[in-house]
Amino acid sequence: MGLDMVEDKPIYVQIAEWLENEILCGNIRENEKIYSQYQLAEMFNINPATAAKGINILADQGILYKKRGLGMFLSANSKEKIQYSRKNHTLKKLVEAVVTEARRLGVYENELIDMMRDAKKELDEHEK
Amino acid sequence: MDVISCKGLTKNFGRVKAINDLSFTIEQNRITGLIGPNGAGKTTLLKIIAGFMRASSGQVAVFSENPFNSLKVSSNMIFIDENMKFPQSLSLAEILLSASAFYENWDMELAKGLFDYFSLNPSRQHHHLSKGMKSTFNMIIGLASQCPLTIFDEPTAGMDAGVRKDFYRALLRDYLQNPRNIIFSSHLLNEVEDILEDILLLREGEKRLHLPVSDLKEFAVALRGKKEIIFDLTAGQEIYYQKSMGQDYYYIVIRRDSAGEVLQKGGAAGVEILPVKADELCVYLTNRNRGGIDHVFDRN
Repeated sequence: MGLDMVEDKPIYVQIAEWLENEILCGNIRENEKIYSQYQLAEMFNINPATAAKGINILADQGILYKKRGLGMFLSANSKEKIQYSRKNHTLKKLVEAVVTEARRLGVYENELIDMMRDAKKELDEHEK
Repeated sequence: MDVISCKGLTKNFGRVKAINDLSFTIEQNRITGLIGPNGAGKTTLLKIIAGFMRASSGQVAVFSENPFNSLKVSSNMIFIDENMKFPQSLSLAEILLSASAFYENWDMELAKGLFDYFSLNPSRQHHHLSKGMKSTFNMIIGLASQCPLTIFDEPTAGMDAGVRKDFYRALLRDYLQNPRNIIFSSHLLNEVEDILEDILLLREGEKRLHLPVSDLKEFAVALRGKKEIIFDLTAGQEIYYQKSMGQDYYYIVIRRDSAGEVLQKGGAAGVEILPVKADELCVYLTNRNRGGIDHVFDRN
């Protein structure tokens, strides 16, 4: 499955990120029920309490809402919320890491931007 | 409701304190991992909880009763370890059949399913099985009994890696179907940490940590950098582990929640900040010496 158990990120954070990815890909739609903690536990071979902790991260951000006795559902505009927060936190940090590494290697700005363009081109071609 | 609670629990063997002033509670329907090095008191604690042994002092309550001589506890509990003895005249199939008479919630379908999956031979006798096969059979008994309190003491002894993996998966799936109280002792934390909810870490009969496994990964943080900078930064902090790396570099593990300022200053001073894996942290926390095995070789 998609979790990297060796990675140093706590498992529940990885669960939250996996759910976010599912939402971003459109695999779960607004007002649809999401996986229960028990389904996630079985899918990823983890304790259901850990899975619940991952679900709760998204609930605390308002990405999920609870229907009593029915489970967790996807809120409206959740995709935009995730995109916004990922862009301002995750992507920003990744870019910082790239820039730091480039500086360490003495790679100039133009070269770095070219590398990014090339990477994007390659990905685009893969998708074709 | 607390299923198990201990208060000031102590068990002496002669002059040795196997369990020393131990207090904790375990809430309902959790999988708790009892972790600690050899001689930490894991088996002693489990035997007291199971009612096999009387504590020297302090209190222990299981299902709100003192487990020693308690019918309630013994009829709702199963204790699985590698020393389980079964009547020598019975075959494995006959053992399963008689176990079903002992345990109210016995799940024969599960027992047979696991029995076939692990290719055990129903006509064989328990004392003729290899160590790993014995452990596998005992595990089947432990799961199929569906006891409200299921205790596994080092259940994977002798199992090969594949069987261990299957066992953890079986334990989790069975728990998802029928949530109950499971305590599981092991020193292979990295194999089991994902299926545990809580971890109780023992060292020399004392509680070192008792917390959700998911918090364990964030409990400590490691710093790596120049010796003077590192020791300057961590002055006054409790150091769980330290190791010299090459000439004047050091690797130091400290508690995360008291380290906010240290991390900020360290980051600015070019110190590397690294997460600490749960199983490594457990080893650091239960080492008698904070330098680990290197300490033996690094005497000056």
